[in-house]
Amino acid sequence: MSDAANQITLTIDGVEVSVAAGTTLLQAAEHAGVVVPHYCYHPGIPSRPAQCRMCLVEIEGQPKLQPSCVFPAGEGMVVHTTSEAAEKARQSVIEFLLLNHPLDCPICDAAGQCMLQDYAFETGQLRSRYAEAKMVLGRDRVADDILYFGDRCIVCTRCVRFMEDIAGDNALVVAQRGHKAYIDTFPGRDLDHAFRGNIVDVCPVGALVHEDFVFKARAWDMDAAPGICPGCSTGCNIEINVKENQVVRTKPRLNTEVNSYWMCDHGRRVLVMANRGVRAEAPMIRRAGELEPASWNEALAWVAEELGGSGGVAVASASVSNEALFYTRTLLNHLGIEGGTFEVEEGAEVTLAGFPKLKLRAERAPNATGAALHGYRRSEGLPEVVDGASLVVLGDALAEAPADYGANAGFFLYIGSHLPPAAGNATAILPAAAVPEMEGTFVNYEGRVQRFHRALRSPGVARPAWMFLSRLLEHLGEGTGVREIGDAFGVMAAGTEAMQGLTWGGLGLRGELLSEAGHPAVAAE
Amino acid sequence: MTRPLHPAAASAQPFQVADLRPTERLFEDPEGQDRLEKVVSRYPEKRAALLPMLGYAQERNGWISDENMAEIAGALELTPAYVRSVATFYTMYNRHPVGRHLIQVCTCISCHLNEGQEVFEQFLSETGTRAGEISEDGRYTVIEAECLGACGFATAVQVNDRYFENVTPDKVPAILDELD
Amino acid sequence: MGYPYSHDLEVGTLLSRHLGDEKARTLAGWKELGGYASLPKALEMDPDAITEVVKESGLRGRGGAGFPTGVKWSFMPKEPNGPHYLCCNADESEPGAFKDREILRWVPHLLIEGCLIAARAIRAEHVYIYVRGEFFPFSGIVRDAVVEAYEGGYVGEDILGSGWNCDVTVHLGAGAYIAGEETGLMSSLMGGRAEPWIKPPFPAQSGVFGRPTTVNNVETLAAVPMIVAEGADWYRQWGTEKSPGTKLWCCSGHLQRPGTYELPLGVNLSDVIYEVCGGDPNGKKIKAVIPGGSSTAILTADELDCSGCYEGLAEAGSALGTASPIVMNEDTNIVQAMRRVAQFYAHESCGQCVQCREGTSWTAKILQRIEEGDGTFEDLDTLYHLCEQMTGRTICPLADSVVFPLRSSLDKFRDEYEALIER
Repeated sequence: MSDAANQITLTIDGVEVSVAAGTTLLQAAEHAGVVVPHYCYHPGIPSRPAQCRMCLVEIEGQPKLQPSCVFPAGEGMVVHTTSEAAEKARQSVIEFLLLNHPLDCPICDAAGQCMLQDYAFETGQLRSRYAEAKMVLGRDRVADDILYFGDRCIVCTRCVRFMEDIAGDNALVVAQRGHKAYIDTFPGRDLDHAFRGNIVDVCPVGALVHEDFVFKARAWDMDAAPGICPGCSTGCNIEINVKENQVVRTKPRLNTEVNSYWMCDHGRRVLVMANRGVRAEAPMIRRAGELEPASWNEALAWVAEELGGSGGVAVASASVSNEALFYTRTLLNHLGIEGGTFEVEEGAEVTLAGFPKLKLRAERAPNATGAALHGYRRSEGLPEVVDGASLVVLGDALAEAPADYGANAGFFLYIGSHLPPAAGNATAILPAAAVPEMEGTFVNYEGRVQRFHRALRSPGVARPAWMFLSRLLEHLGEGTGVREIGDAFGVMAAGTEAMQGLTWGGLGLRGELLSEAGHPAVAAE
Repeated sequence: MTRPLHPAAASAQPFQVADLRPTERLFEDPEGQDRLEKVVSRYPEKRAALLPMLGYAQERNGWISDENMAEIAGALELTPAYVRSVATFYTMYNRHPVGRHLIQVCTCISCHLNEGQEVFEQFLSETGTRAGEISEDGRYTVIEAECLGACGFATAVQVNDRYFENVTPDKVPAILDELD
Repeated sequence: MGYPYSHDLEVGTLLSRHLGDEKARTLAGWKELGGYASLPKALEMDPDAITEVVKESGLRGRGGAGFPTGVKWSFMPKEPNGPHYLCCNADESEPGAFKDREILRWVPHLLIEGCLIAARAIRAEHVYIYVRGEFFPFSGIVRDAVVEAYEGGYVGEDILGSGWNCDVTVHLGAGAYIAGEETGLMSSLMGGRAEPWIKPPFPAQSGVFGRPTTVNNVETLAAVPMIVAEGADWYRQWGTEKSPGTKLWCCSGHLQRPGTYELPLGVNLSDVIYEVCGGDPNGKKIKAVIPGGSSTAILTADELDCSGCYEGLAEAGSALGTASPIVMNEDTNIVQAMRRVAQFYAHESCGQCVQCREGTSWTAKILQRIEEGDGTFEDLDTLYHLCEQMTGRTICPLADSVVFPLRSSLDKFRDEYEALIER
């Protein structure tokens, strides 16, 4: 931690805190457990104009209230964030902001997650003294997928400064001045930056909204779960918003090691689009030439019985969890199937200028590192199936496969969440939960093992692959079935060199790096 | 001007003039290039040339079009949006065409005390326009201005780059006559 | 002397001596009148010695805030590790103020000389004279003077053979009162919206182009040559202990002889209004005076017997500001006048701080409604509330500027507000 000599001790709302020199009062207040209301300040945006004047606090000995977002903590300072003067100033800011505000909370997508609404309820007045006609700005478009509701805007300029400071593309600006100021682009040049969607997240009110989210869900009707973006190998930490078991929105979740407060627009769409497709809902086994549904017990016993150890090929998706990859690997070993391949779609790389560690990476899958770690080989195209040999498919690897792929296999085990045409050739289909429907881990491009949580219910009786594969292996005399993700992770970590020492609980919400030994990136060199 | 423009003077040309030479593009002739180079040479950062170059666009065309803004943005390595943000901040940049004579009548406090409002209304009625409109013959646009900095000579009226001082409503017709 | 009128109470220093004399505009004419005499002296002085003289003279910033000029200069780093800049604030736009315009248009070389001496003192290599956009004709005069000064060897490289280089550039604004605030001016000069920034960083640490910068008003800089030439004691023969020297007073409103006069600081305000300017042109009674430009507290006719200096007007409950009395006679509708002032500030708010962006326009709307006879007594409470919440809450003092005249008018002319409400 920081050097004791550089520590400053001050009192905020009666709580004594010690912070590093240079810490602002607003940040110091957080140490004291005090949240100072603010609009223009955003911890991820470096510029601090101190213009919303919401975070004004009283400092003993200072004649004026001071903006805590920029005012540095000083030794022995005594700060009051809720003194009468500070409260009154804050109440007044709210009143000012609401003068021309349309109060359209009932149809506003930010309602329930709106900093203006929250603070108005907290400190505002019941009745406005504003007797004048309200100014009306109306609605505009700032990008092909983002709308701007000018009347709700409080001109905190977070969006403008995100584009300038973080995206490095000064394409969104304040136009006009004074009470006529609003946010705008240059005519005919809407935002097209790959990370523009973050302006919606930083907007503290409902002024900027993704068009595909407008009127889609109220904040209080949505559930939220922490996830990992499956859009590329960066592994952005995200929050998945769910309504009626459908993903309606994904938002970035802070991880200073990975994505800071941001994510790209490509990533935002992946899970929302994944609501589509035909799902595997029940185990299916091929009896008398026809695939027919079976119970889990029946299906697993049947597969264990029928599956031969005659060698063959396997193909996995780089979008499934490490646990699924690990248990499938164990199964392949049991079957005498060497290797197994995976393919990753490639796209253009885009770097976020203000946080260059965050890129939309060329590798458009979340767990290619994990797939390599578990012994799968990167390849282009699907492996050729020799007539009569075994074929094991894990995850969404056959989406683009020809409809007759695998028809010549001796035994074709399909483990997946979706059913592309080629899955119809399977000998047995074991329905797996899709990633947002289960817990598990991915390993990102730099070898960071990150947990994701369950956001959705699976359709039918689909289960996490690690769960039923561990039971299948138990049928085959390999270990015992596991029911808890923590146990599955523990078995995997114990059996994987680069994961030695990692524990499910220890990963937390920030993740842990693989040890260098056995790291596929290191091993490859 | 017969002498070449001195670089120290390049940022201070009047940009509200009546004798326009409207050309759509700014930097495709030697004059525009020369102005750009001289203005840029006076500052350590290119961006600082923005106000003088917006002024130059208006000096030539009478107003500043989106195309001119994009052109200036290109010349100064700025985004067009940024240029627009700055251009809309300042009230003297005309974002729409105006009459050949832009008549700005100060009605701020000292002029207000000396019939500023009446002078303003007199200009409107003499030119037959509403505030901000171009008169039918294209000659006049009359607008109300905030303090023009000539409070001791109220009412102050600025027509393009000229000041008229101590204006009273009855002097309005004579001023209009003087403006060709 | 003053322009367009002069008066016996005036002091005719270099500041005003040649106002109205076209000869002073050209380099040749100006030299004939004794111009550019201080610059050679300053070039032989140590920069810190120049600052010291100005400090001793007690010259205070003439842009309104009255900060001691020499002290401001002393904040600049003594050992430059890169360029320093001087910005001359010629964005004169405070309603009531028109003194800088007289310097710009009559004695441009005096300003240039002052700029160069100041630049020398603060080790600046470039002076930017930021002139408000509306002043085309006057900035043209300064511009031509600068070119002449370049050609005469007073500006540019190796000034007067001293080996010292300093450039001067005339820069035009484009209609923004807030560009007269020093950080707003620097934002604007850098090609941005004239938005003030929160200090720190202070201009002397990181100003225009991220370099140490001093911003001085036109009149301040124009006073420097004579102080350097004649010395601090000479300058202190006028004015008071805390407000030494002379000041250009620019008087407007209901006056017989409005205009600019050079008067010693500490002159009695009522003498300025009645003696110098002759009171109302039609002999009407004076009702009120806003003494220091529209951002200062209003004084009633009974309060004019006070000392016209920084401390004197502060004692009278107002401020010297730019020494720009706006005089209102007995026929003036105070509410209407305040509405007009509030409209100005609403129009000029940059829009960053919420209190100013929303408060100034709300204030103007309430005043308009009261003026039109639709006001309520609650509106008066709301106005007081606005005054409270627009004071000391914002990055720059623009919001405070509307409060000073407004609150004092509510206090002193409440009967006029009430009469309109009751009507």
